[in-house]
Amino acid sequence: MLVIRRRPGECLVIADQVEIEVLDATSSQVKLGIRAPRAVSVLRKEIHLTRNQNRAAAHELTPAAMGRLRESLIAARPSHAASSEPVPDSCPGRPSPPEP
Amino acid sequence: MEIEFPQGLPGFEHERRFTLSQPSEFAPLVRLQSIASPAVSLWTAPVDAVDPDYALDLSEDDLHVLGFDPARPPRPGLDIQCLVILCATENGPLTANLLAPVVINLRNRRAVQSVRSDRRYSHQHPLSGEAAC
Repeated sequence: MLVIRRRPGECLVIADQVEIEVLDATSSQVKLGIRAPRAVSVLRKEIHLTRNQNRAAAHELTPAAMGRLRESLIAARPSHAASSEPVPDSCPGRPSPPEP
Repeated sequence: MEIEFPQGLPGFEHERRFTLSQPSEFAPLVRLQSIASPAVSLWTAPVDAVDPDYALDLSEDDLHVLGFDPARPPRPGLDIQCLVILCATENGPLTANLLAPVVINLRNRRAVQSVRSDRRYSHQHPLSGEAAC
């Protein structure tokens, strides 16, 4: 990994297109300003990982894959084999007062 | 049950309305399916089926979207339900995204995928019985 030391007010340029400026820095946090063409996607890494993970997960599963998923969860918690935490509609005992 | 993600989900920002269903033959799996685009279908599980010690950490922004007062945090199971999205690729590892749980306000049925900014949990948490990758 390339490591560069910068102070607040100093910049980096990536591929002649993207400019990153250090706006502020404390002992625990750095504030960055980013100038990039509209077509360049800039995301926090955790959002980027979640986006890719959601896209990978969003498809129909084969019966074999469903079986593996169920087995792995039931193996983790035997009590879930018979009755897991139901979704709210199937749980009439759960309080559901009207919206204030 | 129909729920609404006012901000969509990362990767599916335009999908706002989903149905949540739990076919008994697939318990404890819970299905999350877009109403406008039924092909967008995610299988999830209650977070405590994956990690009973999971420590939920909702940001103020998430609480606002869900309609909670940050001074009165919601109680899991009573005010909110917390699900994790599962990923199963053909012959690949089975994983759960503990980095970004789906949190549903049971009172108003608003939901958010709460993406953590700490590094405590993985977006590809291996499910038990599966080798870590």
